[in-house]
Amino acid sequence: MSALRRSGLQKDVLNLYRRALRMVKTKPPSTQDKFSLYIRYTFRTNASSVSPRDVSAIEHLMRKGKRQLEMYEHLSVKDCWVSEEMRSWEKDRA
Amino acid sequence: MSVLNQAARRLAKASIIDVRSFATSVRRLQAEPLQKPVLNKEFKIYRWASFGSPCRPTFENPDEPAKKPNLQSYTIDLNQTGPMVLDALIKIKNEIDPTLTFRRSCREGICGSCAMNINGQNTLACLCRIDRDASKDSKIYPLPHMYIVKDLVPDLTQFYKQYKSIQPYLQNDNPPEKGEFLQSQEDRRKLDGLYECILCACCSTSCPSYWWNQDEYLGPATLMQAYRWIADSRDGNSAKRKEYLQNELSMYRCHTIFNCSRTCPKGLNPAAAIAKIKLDLAAD
Repeated sequence: MSALRRSGLQKDVLNLYRRALRMVKTKPPSTQDKFSLYIRYTFRTNASSVSPRDVSAIEHLMRKGKRQLEMYEHLSVKDCWVSEEMRSWEKDRA
Repeated sequence: MSVLNQAARRLAKASIIDVRSFATSVRRLQAEPLQKPVLNKEFKIYRWASFGSPCRPTFENPDEPAKKPNLQSYTIDLNQTGPMVLDALIKIKNEIDPTLTFRRSCREGICGSCAMNINGQNTLACLCRIDRDASKDSKIYPLPHMYIVKDLVPDLTQFYKQYKSIQPYLQNDNPPEKGEFLQSQEDRRKLDGLYECILCACCSTSCPSYWWNQDEYLGPATLMQAYRWIADSRDGNSAKRKEYLQNELSMYRCHTIFNCSRTCPKGLNPAAAIAKIKLDLAAD
């Protein structure tokens, strides 16, 4: 039962996603839903917009994501904004 | 009655002043402005935008979600442009292509925002004159070997983190009992040529050692600031500061290539500062 073998880049992306999802837990309970939706939406839409072979584009997105995440991880960030687009995206997935 | 007269006189005076223009004589007023000949020059500018950036949305280019960088050519009339490369960039952005992206702020070489690679030399666009030779094109790239955010905007996160890591602020456990830290003129003179650095990152990004070891080697700009605090007579923490640099990579990756001193748009000499740190560390 070996798991899917993943490339280094895939692991990096998943690690970043994991770190982002953990960040959500540190936020006040009332806004956690919004953070979670924001994270999931951003990851999924970015992931589908780029070919898995386009390594340099993925790396660029990773750097961008890391910078954003560092900002969101800051304790003074208590809330985030969620667009109508994200809400409808979530509804479509359900 | 006299009050009314006075008011009327004042009004008349005011209207004369209003009519008066900058020309001091009738002939000057009538003179037609000199038409300068058209001098077209081509600028080739590095363009790259990731998908999803606000200016070029994904749907514009569905076949190429991540477009490769390219050189885009713009031709402008030099006689209708200011003398510096930054003026040309601003003109292009205003009149030809508003999606062109670059950092700029003070336009007089004091903020260090507009650092870029112009005709193969790292410099500030606001301090770099346009070559008036219209037969040759001018190539403008972002700072070399940096991750690009968009077009001419490099990602300087790492650079600023390194600057932060040398703790660029005064540390002294015994401040003077009253008033301020005093310093002799001689001690103050040691800081000349160090404190003027505006952290434009021109020197660091011109350094081959920094290209290959960006994550470990601090780079000339940061090292010069490190020396600025080691050399400061008011700072009491220089032993710790030196200890921080005492390893293979942080500073000793400098192989005295001197690209930093050659390229510095402010005319400073980071290589000399690094050499002085090395001397200090060797003397310890």
